[in-house]
Amino acid sequence: MKRTLLLLRKDALVLRRSPLLLAILLAYPLAIAILVGLVASYASAKPRVALVDEDNLPPTVVIGGHRFHVDRTIEQVSKNVKLVHLSSEQAAQQLKTGKVVAVVTVPPGFIATLKEMVRSPKLEVELSQGTISSRVEQQVQALVYSLNRKLQRAYIGTNLHYVTLILNGGTGSLLGQQFNVLGMAKSERLLRSMPQTPRVRKLEDFIHDARLALANTGDAMRSLANPIGLQRTDSRGRTWVLSANVQAYALALTITFLTLMLAAGSLAAERDENVIGRLARGLVGLGHLVWAKVALAAAVALVLGLAIATAFGVIIEVGGVTGGEPWHRLPLLVLGLLLAGGSLGALGALLGALAREARSASLVALLVVLPIVFLGLIPSEIVPPAGWASSLLPFTHAFQLFRSALFDLSPWGEVAKQALWLLVLGGIFGALACRGARRLLA
Amino acid sequence: MSSEQPLLAARGVGRRFGQTTALEPVELEILPGDALALVGPNGAGKSTLLALLAGALEPSTGGIDRRKGVRVGWAPQRPAQYGRLSARENLELFARLEGEAEPEEAAAQLLRDFDLPGKASPSADLSVGNRQRLNLAIAFLGRPEVLLLDEPTAALDPEQRRRLWERTTALPEAGGAFAFATQNLDEIERFADRVAVLRDGRLIFTGGIDEYDRTQTDTLFA
Repeated sequence: MKRTLLLLRKDALVLRRSPLLLAILLAYPLAIAILVGLVASYASAKPRVALVDEDNLPPTVVIGGHRFHVDRTIEQVSKNVKLVHLSSEQAAQQLKTGKVVAVVTVPPGFIATLKEMVRSPKLEVELSQGTISSRVEQQVQALVYSLNRKLQRAYIGTNLHYVTLILNGGTGSLLGQQFNVLGMAKSERLLRSMPQTPRVRKLEDFIHDARLALANTGDAMRSLANPIGLQRTDSRGRTWVLSANVQAYALALTITFLTLMLAAGSLAAERDENVIGRLARGLVGLGHLVWAKVALAAAVALVLGLAIATAFGVIIEVGGVTGGEPWHRLPLLVLGLLLAGGSLGALGALLGALAREARSASLVALLVVLPIVFLGLIPSEIVPPAGWASSLLPFTHAFQLFRSALFDLSPWGEVAKQALWLLVLGGIFGALACRGARRLLA
Repeated sequence: MSSEQPLLAARGVGRRFGQTTALEPVELEILPGDALALVGPNGAGKSTLLALLAGALEPSTGGIDRRKGVRVGWAPQRPAQYGRLSARENLELFARLEGEAEPEEAAAQLLRDFDLPGKASPSADLSVGNRQRLNLAIAFLGRPEVLLLDEPTAALDPEQRRRLWERTTALPEAGGAFAFATQNLDEIERFADRVAVLRDGRLIFTGGIDEYDRTQTDTLFA
C-alpha cells in the first residue's frame, strides 16, 4: 500500500510537471461543463414565436355565455414560448432569418367563427426547419389543446343551458331571438292536472323517462368530449430527465476519455522511461504499479468530475434552468466518480500493458474509447447486442450511476447495482492488467 | 566452482525475446569479494545477463538464486529514471522504495558524492553525463552488497570514473561483489579479478583475470 501511494505521489508530481497534459486536464472538463451547461440552458430556453393577429383580437371575448381573457391566454402560453406580436411581413422575414422559430397566425374572422359555435376556426402555424421545430410544434399543439378544453367547457355549458331550459322551462335565446319554453317539469304537472286517460298516462310516462335521461346529459356530453381523461400524479422518477442525461453523459464521457488515456499512457510510460525493470526487481510489484495507475485514474476522475459538476451547476443555476443542480447529491457522486475512474483506469492500464509504449497506448486508448462510448449511447432496447457488449464495459455503468446519484429520487438501489458492476469490472480489468504488465519487462 | 555460497547465481538462465534468443542458458556465480567483468561484442547478451541477475527481467529458462537478505544494486546501460522529476526527487523516491530509513539524507549524500545538481530542474534536462551519474547514484541506494553495472563509465568524465571505481571497488573489500559489463579493456585489467566472456548469447569463457589472455580477447572481439 505504501509503495502504491509512493508511486501515486510520483505520478501526481509528474502530472503537475507536464504543462500540456495538465492544461488539457483542466481545460477539457471546463469546456465540457460549459458546453453541457449551455446545452441544458438552451434546452430549457423559451423559443421565440411570432404571433400575427389579423383578426384584431380583443382583450376579452364572450363565447357561449363564457368570458375568455385573450391576454391571460397569451400570457399562459408565454410560460413555454416567448410570443412576440409581429405583422405578417415582419414574421415572414424573421422566420426566414431564424429570429423566430414559428409563426402563429390568427386569420381574419377567427373570433366571429368561434362565436358562431358551428364551424371550427383554424389557427395557421408555420415552423422553421430546425432541430427545435418539433418542440415548438408541441408547444402550439399544447396551446390549441388548452384552448379547445376551455371552449369545450363553454360549449357544453351552453348546450346544458338549453337542456336545463327544456327540463325546467323559462326564457331562452338563439341567434338573437328570444323565446319561452314550457319545460318538462311544468308539462308533467299540467298532465297530472288533466283527466287520467290511458293516452295522458302514456304521455306522463314518456315525460318522466325523458327527464331522467336528460338529467344525465351533462355527464354524457363531458364524457363524449373527453373519452379518455388525463390525471397528473406526482411521479417518483427523475426530477428532470434532460438535464440529468446531459450532465451524466458529460461526466461519463469526460472521465472515460481522460482516465482511460491517462492510465494507459502512464503505465506504458514506465517502460518508456526505462524504470520498469528498476521497479520490478523487487522494489515494486507489477500489481502495485497497476493499482497505482488505477488510483491515479480514480483521483483524476474525482477532481475532474467534481469540477464539471460544480461548473455545470453554476451555469444552470445562473441560467435558471428548471430543477436546478442537485447540490446535496454531490457526496454520492464522489463514490461514483471514484469507482468509475478506478474501473476505467484498470481498463486503461490493461491497454497500456498491451500497447507497451506511451504513444501507442494513448492511440490505442483513443481508438478503444470511441466504440465504448458509442456502444453506451445505443439504447439496449433497440439493439440488444450493443447493450450486452456495453454492460461489459464501464462507460454505461458509470453513466447510469451518475444519473441515478444526481437525479433519482430514490437512488440507492441503482447506485449500489452500478457500483457493484464497476467494482467487478475494475477488478477483472485490473487483474488482467497485472498479468499483462509482465509484457512491459520484455 | 567455489564451495563458498554465492551471493548471486545464474542457474541455467536463458532469455528469448520472441523468436530471438538473447541468451542461451548460462551458469554463473558471483561470490563474495568478486569483481567480475562481463565482456563481449555488442549483442553478445551482457546487458540481458545483468538484467536477469538484477531481477529486472524474467528468465525464459532457469532461475536466479540470491543469497537470502542480499541487497543488489543495478545500473542499466540506458539511464532508468523519471525525466519529469529532478535528480533529488528521483533519488528520494527510489530511496523510499529501497526502504532507506532516512531517504532525504540518503538522497542528499548521493547528490554530493556524485556531484549532481540539487536544483529542481527535471532530470530529462540534465546533460548525458549527469543523467548517467544519476543512474549510477540510484544503484547505490539501499546500501547494496552486490552491484551490477552495465557499461557504467561510458558517459563519465575521468574524475567521475575515478570516484565511481573508488566506491565500487570498496564493495569486494567489505565482503560484497560487483559485476560490470564493459568494452573497455583497460578497466577489465584494472578493476576485474574474474572475467566472463559472452558471444552470440553464449557464455564461452569464465575464469580469473590471470587466465584471461588479451590475445584471446582480441580474437573474441574480432
